[in-house]
Amino acid sequence: MELLPQALMDGIMLGAIYIIIAIGFSLVYGVMHVIDFAVGEWIMLGAFAGFYLTEWTHVEPMLLLPGVFVVFAAAGYLFQPLIHRVLSGHRGNPLLMGLVFTFGLGLMFRGLAQTFFGFYSHSIPSRFSNGSFFLQGGGFSTTVSSVRLAGLVYALAITGILHYLLKHTDFGLGVRALAQNRDAAGLMGVDNKRTSAFVYGIYVGISAMTGVLIGMILSLSAKMGPDFTIFAFFVVVLAGMGYLAGVPAAAFLLGIIQSFFLIYLDPGYTLLAVFAILYTILLVSPRGLFGKGV
Amino acid sequence: MNVLEARGVSASYGDTQVLREISFTVKKGLLVALLGANGAGKTTTLKSICGLVRPSAGTVRYDGRVISGLPVHKVAELGITLVPEGRQLFPKMTVEENLVAGSYLKKAKEKRKENLDRAYAVFPRLAERRTQMAETLSGGEQQMVAIGRGLMQSPDLIMFDEPSLGLSPLLVEEVFRVMRMLHEQGLTIFLVEQNVRQTLRIADYCYVMENGRIVQEGNGRDLESDPRVREAYLGF
Ligand SMILES: Nc1ncnc2c1ncn2[C@@H]1O[C@H](COP(=O)(O)OP(=O)(O)OP(=O)(O)O)[C@@H](O)[C@H]1O
Ligand SMILES: [Mg+2]
Repeated sequence: MELLPQALMDGIMLGAIYIIIAIGFSLVYGVMHVIDFAVGEWIMLGAFAGFYLTEWTHVEPMLLLPGVFVVFAAAGYLFQPLIHRVLSGHRGNPLLMGLVFTFGLGLMFRGLAQTFFGFYSHSIPSRFSNGSFFLQGGGFSTTVSSVRLAGLVYALAITGILHYLLKHTDFGLGVRALAQNRDAAGLMGVDNKRTSAFVYGIYVGISAMTGVLIGMILSLSAKMGPDFTIFAFFVVVLAGMGYLAGVPAAAFLLGIIQSFFLIYLDPGYTLLAVFAILYTILLVSPRGLFGKGV
Repeated sequence: MNVLEARGVSASYGDTQVLREISFTVKKGLLVALLGANGAGKTTTLKSICGLVRPSAGTVRYDGRVISGLPVHKVAELGITLVPEGRQLFPKMTVEENLVAGSYLKKAKEKRKENLDRAYAVFPRLAERRTQMAETLSGGEQQMVAIGRGLMQSPDLIMFDEPSLGLSPLLVEEVFRVMRMLHEQGLTIFLVEQNVRQTLRIADYCYVMENGRIVQEGNGRDLESDPRVREAYLGF
């Protein structure tokens, strides 16, 4: 019983990480119609960037986040036209091509990372890792490390910024227009290629930053990617494909379910258990938790 | 002065040729109409002007500059607006967000507030429904949003693709009233319609299209008295 509050806190923490991963993933799907199966590898590459930068510079990794974002966002922006090219070939099914292409990309990143970074697990040392808070209430008590709390604050801040960007700026208006009706967006003057490249850049930058955070809170290794890809996919499907507003609830739900299972089940089965719950929910409501997906 | 000029424009979807060397001009400040039966190629004509379809031959010029082959957003930047067939709204945006999306470009952004007021003045019904999601609007209301969104672009040339399609007679009147008003304000209009009788009445010049070709042209009165047009489109 005393594990419950701890599991809840861990779940909220995981959920917060899943939110930011899944929002980017969902945006890319909405605007580019690409299910990016390389998302976990962008996270992994970001985590290694954070790891080595911290090792070389001894700067607090939290402070490195903006730099990691800028570098990876630029990389994503420059990389996007290649994906666009792959998808706009006249033969074949674009959605499938996107899946296969990004899957291959992920495999390649993972292989290269194993060659250059090795097979070992690391973690990124942070000043925040030492401190912790003691929370008490209603007869329960639990401790939360300050690095996790910082992670939660970071995740909520990123979510807030993205929300603002999408809902209250003209760039966001263009992004939503593209996602909802590409031709009409073009008629309004929205530049599909440029906007898509920006969206992909923002998504890669955020994924990489999140990788650094995951490296601080949990751990990082060349093989860490696929778990996060799977969860990003789960969250987006649970939220309803393309229904961005459903992402936070779906992410917290999956995060909490996962951390509860981690207590009671062999870690090898957690993913299966989470999948079973996802599947059951989809049986009842095929278009996601809120029935608003596609 | 010719604002819009198409010369020998052809277009295909895959192997099927839909436009066969069509030529037409739209002069500044005029309301020019393009008539024709279902499947004649009217929508394709508009799409090849605004960059949604790339012509396989021929050129489209706007103010003397070749625009065929430009991507759609570049054509929009030149001040050409299409109010597309079937409304093509942003379904998950509110009425107001749809209208504001029309002022995405820099030039229109500067007049956003003024144009929004104008759109609500033209269609007071939209003001009542500004926070309603576009997908839940009635067909007529959606058409008002589509027209309003086009006006938000502060266009120099506005093209309408069957704006009266599926509307009640009262609303058809309303849409024609708005087009007449825009025409009187000096806007250049290129109108695709199946509502031939009303269109002939407001158009300065008309083209008639059949199977991807322009088969006839003239001013409204000439066409109205033309036996072939009477038979094919007016039913008497
Ligand atoms: N995306 C497409 N792919 C293949 N064929 C198309 C496509 N769009 C239109 N066509 C074909 O091109 C021809 C002309 O279509 P278009 O939409 O230009 O006609 P229209 O004159 O606008 O007709 P309507 O009055 O019914 O809107 C039709 O035969 C149509 O089937
Ligand atoms: Mg048509």
